[in-house]
Amino acid sequence: MRNLFQCCIISLAGALVVSSLAFAQSSPKPNFGGPEDLKEKLGDTGPGGPAPKHDLTGFWAGKVAAKLNPVPAMTPWGQEQFRLHKSNGQYPVADSNDPIKGCDPLGFPRNILFMTRGIVFTTMPGKTIEMSEYNRIWREIWTDGRELPKDVGGRSADAPDPRWYGYSVGHWEGDYTFVVNTVGSDPRTWLDNAGHPHSIDLRVEERYTRVNHNHLEVTVKIDDPKTYTEPFVITKSEFTWIPEQDFEEELCVPSEQAEYLKLIGEPAAHSETGK
Amino acid sequence: MEWCWLASVRPQQFSRGRPLPFRAAARFRGRLSKLRMSLALLGVLLAVGVPAFAHHGSASYKTDKVVVMKQATVTRFLWANPHTMLMFDAKDDKGNISHWAGEAGSPAAVRSLGWNKNSLHPGDVITVQLYPSKFERRVGRLDKIVLADGTTLKDSPRSDLGVLSRY
Repeated sequence: MRNLFQCCIISLAGALVVSSLAFAQSSPKPNFGGPEDLKEKLGDTGPGGPAPKHDLTGFWAGKVAAKLNPVPAMTPWGQEQFRLHKSNGQYPVADSNDPIKGCDPLGFPRNILFMTRGIVFTTMPGKTIEMSEYNRIWREIWTDGRELPKDVGGRSADAPDPRWYGYSVGHWEGDYTFVVNTVGSDPRTWLDNAGHPHSIDLRVEERYTRVNHNHLEVTVKIDDPKTYTEPFVITKSEFTWIPEQDFEEELCVPSEQAEYLKLIGEPAAHSETGK
Repeated sequence: MEWCWLASVRPQQFSRGRPLPFRAAARFRGRLSKLRMSLALLGVLLAVGVPAFAHHGSASYKTDKVVVMKQATVTRFLWANPHTMLMFDAKDDKGNISHWAGEAGSPAAVRSLGWNKNSLHPGDVITVQLYPSKFERRVGRLDKIVLADGTTLKDSPRSDLGVLSRY
């Protein structure tokens, strides 16, 4: 019993000592923050009634970043691209080559995986528009029955050019699931914050299921045989109806980002001698 | 100087313990051993897991030490996207002034924590708590700020993902 007692004391002491940054009652206590997004702040809002049919219209709150599943094995081409990417997670921001370091567009599908504090759906004749709080960008999702363009990025004169946010078409499956298929995303964009790459052959399927009035689930499936050895679901995330139907303005401002790199990003990353 | 380091994180070690004195108790040794392993695992999970989920993520900054500077004076506050920035002066015991810069989350991130564009003004005297650069520069990721009236402005936490969100 003494052994058990000793073990308990040591284990708990070790845990408390090492976790003291989190739980220490003595001052100063590190801050582990509060809600970092409206979704977390809203908490459990309840179902809010049944989901309307064929309707995603409105403002929705999501997490800052979706929880991502591991990517499958990459092809040799994918591995080579990945090797060239220096993410913010592994390198100081000053040394990374993440495209958004200079406020380049997140592009699709990264914009539905990261900086997803707020999204909006609205409809126009023949299309649904999906907008994002971050950088206030939008995507046209055609619902008039047209097919996705072929040979995006090809050399023929009528081949469409790649786009930061690709080409999207959508349709309803049943009353509550809106399915969006996208091709033509510019391969300069990264798939995620870790720097996983994608090619011009990327095809993405998003399935937005309105579970009830207040909750929207989205599943994002990646199919890029040039980069990954098999298709995979990269995330299944959730959005919550925003009662006020409004959200913050959130932009990446190039001039302010440049000042940030000068005042903080660069000094934080290197010693006085620049090493 | 009016700043201090919080305790650095160190891996704990577990004692093997003394032999049990009685045979009856010894029959429970296997069970106790499993319990001990579970407790040890709990300790490790707490030790590793809590900081991993709790701190801002940034490859530039230490995550196991926090600098606290009292009686710091705001020199500039930038309500900027994608990162809020704070410039301030800290004074040591001899009156020497050092210039510091700290970053926080985006305005959209910290607004939900009570900040706004007018939260800080040049001349404000505050307490600053931040995670310093690994390179000993006077730059850091803010942890929290305490205003003269006692109001605490926390910075946004890092994402709970494997990759480190700085937004």
